[in-house]
Order: sequence, then structure tokens, then C-alpha cells
Amino acid sequence: MAELALRTRLALQLQRVVVATLAPLWAPALAVGMRLVLRWRIEGAREARAEYARIRATSRAPLLVCANHLTMVDSAIIAWALGSPGWYLLHPSSLPWNVPDRANFASRWWQRILVYLMKCIPIPRGGDRAEVAGVLHRLAWLLARGDVGLVFPEGGRSRTGRVERATSTYGVGRILGLVPGCRVLCVHLRGEGQEAFSRAPRRGERFHVALELFEPKSDATGLRRSLDLTRQVIGRLADLEQGFFDARR
Amino acid sequence: MEQAELFSKVLKIISPFAKNQDALAKVGMDTHILDDLKVNSARLVDVVLAFEDEFGIEIADEDVDDVNTVGDAVRLIGAKLG
Repeated sequence: MAELALRTRLALQLQRVVVATLAPLWAPALAVGMRLVLRWRIEGAREARAEYARIRATSRAPLLVCANHLTMVDSAIIAWALGSPGWYLLHPSSLPWNVPDRANFASRWWQRILVYLMKCIPIPRGGDRAEVAGVLHRLAWLLARGDVGLVFPEGGRSRTGRVERATSTYGVGRILGLVPGCRVLCVHLRGEGQEAFSRAPRRGERFHVALELFEPKSDATGLRRSLDLTRQVIGRLADLEQGFFDARR
Repeated sequence: MEQAELFSKVLKIISPFAKNQDALAKVGMDTHILDDLKVNSARLVDVVLAFEDEFGIEIADEDVDDVNTVGDAVRLIGAKLG
């Protein structure tokens, strides 16, 4: 992996410190908002949190969380499903970094402040390739140093409401290729009322979460390797999704 | 391979992915693949894989970062072919 410039590394370290310092202010408020105001519930959260804590406690190998994508607030719900605010305060490196679309989440100055505080590195989705690569390298650098990243391999909210193999981007595979030994924690999260994509889940939504940890490997090289790794991740997510629907028949 | 021939082959590969037919009609070396031709960024990797198959070359992830215009693609492939 190409080494980041000193200035970039320092900026990431600073953001990490700022997030860890200020998270006690916003993380509990966010969780309270989701639980009490929006009345969201996550079935299986206790098991998911125990599993995530076990994964983090038993190995410091790089970890990338890959999830299905249905709403614009999935990152917050998934982080909530994987750990309580109190647990994250004790394990700040386990609060995942996000790479939200710059146009949607960081086009205004106050949005940029918010996403900075919420551990995000905005990415110009579909924009300048070198700039996109720069963000992926920053995330890879963080993963290699023990932090956790959260990405959506589909590249955007699923237009069909199901995991879309055909629209997957190869960015996930590229990150995995940059970080040797990186494991992937696939997370499938879906509310009982989520038939299609939307801006946000309905009030009172009852989510179900399922996890699967694996380490993708590929003998291919170059772009084909990135694509192969991405397809493995998407395949696992699709399997988790199938499990969700099979269980509800 | 002559640059004109390379340009023609590159264009033939990109065309099915281009959503902007007007831009495709007046395409040049400076035409931006994503912004002008409106090729879906997620599909750019398929375009590059098609380049690999057509020209028998291997293109690294890092090389793709520098491909913004049709001319970038032509020059990259030309360099790979030596």
C-alpha cells in the first residue's frame, strides 16, 4: 500500500482524536433519538453486539464492515446495532469510519462539520478517479492501523430493495487488496417494513440484523482481483439477505 | 498500433456504456468518460476489463485512477502495448 503523506496522516489522527473526544456528546443523543424518538428497535442487537465485541477482542487484524444499503441513515443504525454508545466510548477504534457521498452529505459547511465529527471521510462518488482513490487509500491506512471501516459494496442504496450484485462497485475489493489479511464483517440489516429503498426507515421500525465474518481471498491480479473480492462480499451479503427472507416465510 | 486505430477501438469498447449519445457523436481525445459520455462510474471497471481483453494487457488499479478522458485511455493502452 502506498504510504500516505505526513499531512494526511496527521489530519486523520487529529480527526480520530476529535471524534473520540466529542463522541460522548453526540453518540448517546443519537442513540436516544433512534430508540425513543423514532422508536426503532433492532432484533438480534444483543447477539450482534456480543459477536462484534468478541471479534474485536480476539483479533486486531484489519476489519471492514460491509453492509446492504436501503436508507441514508444506515451507517448510524448499523453502528448502533454493533455497539452501544457506552461501549464505543471505551472502544473508540471500533466505531466505524464511513465514506459517505460528498454530494449528498458534505456539500455545505455545516454538513462537513457534522460528518467530520461522525467519523466520516466524504468520497466524491463517481467523481475524479484520483480523488476517489485517495479516500480509499486513507480508509485502507486506517484499517491497517486497527480502526474499523464501514462501506456499502453496492455503491448506493439498492433500487430494487435487494442486494444488487450487478451494480456492485469494485472499491470494496480495492480496499481489501490494499490491506493484507483484512477480514470482512458482512452485516445485513433490514426493517420489517423495508420493501424498497428510502431516505429513512419509518418511525417504529423493527430491524433484524445478521452478521457473517470471513476473509476474502483471490488469486487474480489487478482489477480482476478487486472485482473478485467485491463479488465475494456481495455474494455473502446476498446469502444473508436470502436467510432473512427464508426465515420469514 | 497507430493512435487513430487505438482511438477507434477504445471508442468501440466505451460506446455501449455511454449514456450521452450526443457527446458520443462528437467524441474526441479530451472527452471525459464519466462527465461527458455519462458512463456509470461503477461500470468503468467493466470498460477497463474490456480494454484488457481486447488488447491483451493488464491494467493496475492505480492506472485506472489516471483515466478520466478518452485520450487518457488511449495513451495508457498505447503505453502498455509499448
